[in-house]
Amino acid sequence: MPGTTSTHEIELILEKKNGGGGGDLPPAGRNGGGGDGKKRPNRQASPARYYTGVAIGIISVLMFFMALASAFLVRKGGADWVPVHIPALLWFNTVVLLVSSATLEVARKHLAHSDPLGFKRFWLVTTVLGVVFLIGQVVAWRTLVKQGIYLASNPASSFFYIFTGAHGLHLIGGIAALIYVAKRNFDATQVTRTVAAEVTSYYWHFMDALWLFLLALLYLGK
Amino acid sequence: MVTYDDGGNASPSTGASFLSRVFSTRHKTIGLQYLWLSLASVLVGMVLSALLRVHASWPDAAIPFLSGLETTPERFAAVRLLHGSLMVFFVLTAAPQLGFGNFLLPLQIGAEEMAFPTLNCLSLWLTVTSLAGMTASFFRPLSQGINVWLISAAIFSLAALLSALNFCVTTIVLRTSGMTLPRMPVTVWAWFVNAILSMLIFSVLLAGCTAVLSDRLLGSNFFSTAAFLAQQPQNLVRQGSLPVLWQRLFWYFAQAEVYVAMLPCFGIVTHLVATFSRKPVWKERLVVLAICGVGVIGFCVWGYHMFATGMNPYAPLVFSVLASSLGIPAAFLLASWLGTLWDGRIQFTTSVLFAIGFISLFIAGGLSGIFLARHDLSRAAVNEDFVIGHFHLVMGVAATFAILAGLFFWFPKLFGCRMNETLGKAHFWLTFAGVYCIFMPMHWLGLLTQSNLLPEVQRVAVASAGASIRTLVTVATIWTVAAQALFVANFFGSLLRTKKGQENNPWRATTLEWSIASPAPEDNFGAEAPVVYRGAYELLAASLDEFAPQYISPELLAQKAR
Repeated sequence: MPGTTSTHEIELILEKKNGGGGGDLPPAGRNGGGGDGKKRPNRQASPARYYTGVAIGIISVLMFFMALASAFLVRKGGADWVPVHIPALLWFNTVVLLVSSATLEVARKHLAHSDPLGFKRFWLVTTVLGVVFLIGQVVAWRTLVKQGIYLASNPASSFFYIFTGAHGLHLIGGIAALIYVAKRNFDATQVTRTVAAEVTSYYWHFMDALWLFLLALLYLGK
Repeated sequence: MVTYDDGGNASPSTGASFLSRVFSTRHKTIGLQYLWLSLASVLVGMVLSALLRVHASWPDAAIPFLSGLETTPERFAAVRLLHGSLMVFFVLTAAPQLGFGNFLLPLQIGAEEMAFPTLNCLSLWLTVTSLAGMTASFFRPLSQGINVWLISAAIFSLAALLSALNFCVTTIVLRTSGMTLPRMPVTVWAWFVNAILSMLIFSVLLAGCTAVLSDRLLGSNFFSTAAFLAQQPQNLVRQGSLPVLWQRLFWYFAQAEVYVAMLPCFGIVTHLVATFSRKPVWKERLVVLAICGVGVIGFCVWGYHMFATGMNPYAPLVFSVLASSLGIPAAFLLASWLGTLWDGRIQFTTSVLFAIGFISLFIAGGLSGIFLARHDLSRAAVNEDFVIGHFHLVMGVAATFAILAGLFFWFPKLFGCRMNETLGKAHFWLTFAGVYCIFMPMHWLGLLTQSNLLPEVQRVAVASAGASIRTLVTVATIWTVAAQALFVANFFGSLLRTKKGQENNPWRATTLEWSIASPAPEDNFGAEAPVVYRGAYELLAASLDEFAPQYISPELLAQKAR
């Protein structure tokens, strides 16, 4: 049949065209009948989705804070802007958060060297440091309240509270993830603890970097 | 009859309790739930629009929800807001992306499930919560209503973010072997680009909602009312009423929403036009690029609205250039649709009629958009019937036509039987004539009676003509709403019909979802993942039966041909 021949021609052309640009997926046409399609459990167990998920999630959270940051920069020119002096405690909190990122990496080293006890210990230290940071932020809020600076006082204070508050909320999510990774029994599932710890570490380091950015914005942009 | 010999095709309800069916994490159930949500919203929204039109023509008539409107203009604004919210959030955003996307994305890329099923279920129920909130805000007094509406919008943003994350990861990670990026159907491209766009804009919208809510509830000072009013055109400030504020705030969102609603529709229409013309998509690469381009430009236009208003003296020009440059990808898409239809063996099913209807409405609405993109002209014509006519044609009605086209096309895969073609065609022609009779005269109405183009004396002279046009629009609205009874009858009539013994691939389509039984079985492709051997549109106009589905190996295809 003439039509079939041309179908094949088109196929051949497309094979050539598509063969190169397909990334790491197998291009096509290995054997007939679909018999050699990958078995489903392997495909579904692939940890790639968690890495991709956390990367895209991070971009989304970043956009949220960028929107607030751009509003901050636009609003700063207003006549009713009264700068907020950052409580000294924030510097201590920053150090705590930075150290927590380091201990998280140490914990992951222990996990990689199959030392579950060392992992548990340093993972716990990270979680505790995260909680200490949050408590520190609340104490910093209370210092400001004692000085009479409230959310509603002026635009600068509104931004200070919303930045620290939103970051704190996102960090609570991070702490929940830390606890989840420590407590969950991964043996029965398709995800290993190593993968879960790595994904969590990306988010945690992002929270760390985000805090540095927000602190710089609040300190330099006042 | 060909039936797929799939042993594990258990009926969805066996052994599952009511709760686990309602809060299902299966992508097909969730997709259908979104579609039901949209169907309910579109019916209510349509009735509201008819009420609004009746009120505009005969203000004295006693109408439910609207009577006594003269004393409380806020009620009129509230009805408009409910109409807009239902249509924009729960029909235009939900149906093409979340409804069809959730159901079909895993099927079209050969996956068993979305990447994060539990997250998917969560975002569905956040959407339902948001719908309940927006409906409730309608029944509250204005000041409370605004707060409830804003909270609902924030919840919707959160749900949209979670869905977008799911769509992105699913498309990136879960494609079956052989499904390379160039082989993805255009529908998948559109859902993917739209998910990326949603990811960017809804997180910003969420931040905006948080700030406004914090201002309203906690007294913070992110947006001061005085500064906001100072930026508005003088005539709006003089009217000074809250409905105007409502409208302006709504527009911020509407700008981005246009692209979020349209992108999946572009995908669906491209897909259907190719399938029913029995030809490959004309310049497929260019179409994919154009879809990406709409995403990028859509984001920029919206970013302009969010951040630049009132800051930059050149901003109107920037907006003008950006909005006009949307015409370039739109022109590519249009050229591809017409190029695909050209010389094709077009199968005039209801589905392709709606797709062609979409193209027609897209051209008509797009032309009036050119006027609005010019900032000097738009100031003259903006804010009333001309704008309403424009965005209803291009966004509301065109997108609805794409949704209907998709529904007629995928109905066998969703429910296991085709919809009635005769009823469907009658419904198409009545609706098609109806919407043109509504929105074309509305453009005239705007130009004649509300623009500053005519001097005052002449404007008074044409006002009487305006009254008769207004009546025509209202009658056409009632006509169109009534015609939807045909659709409702067709939809539920088809649902009640038998679901056994349906062919897998009634439209002779090429993508993966047609390789499995209709309706799609619980476990999609069964134990073996499908393998993709070629691009998505290998169709030939020469004969109906000569097409190369993505899932059939070259050897098997050669065997069949022999």
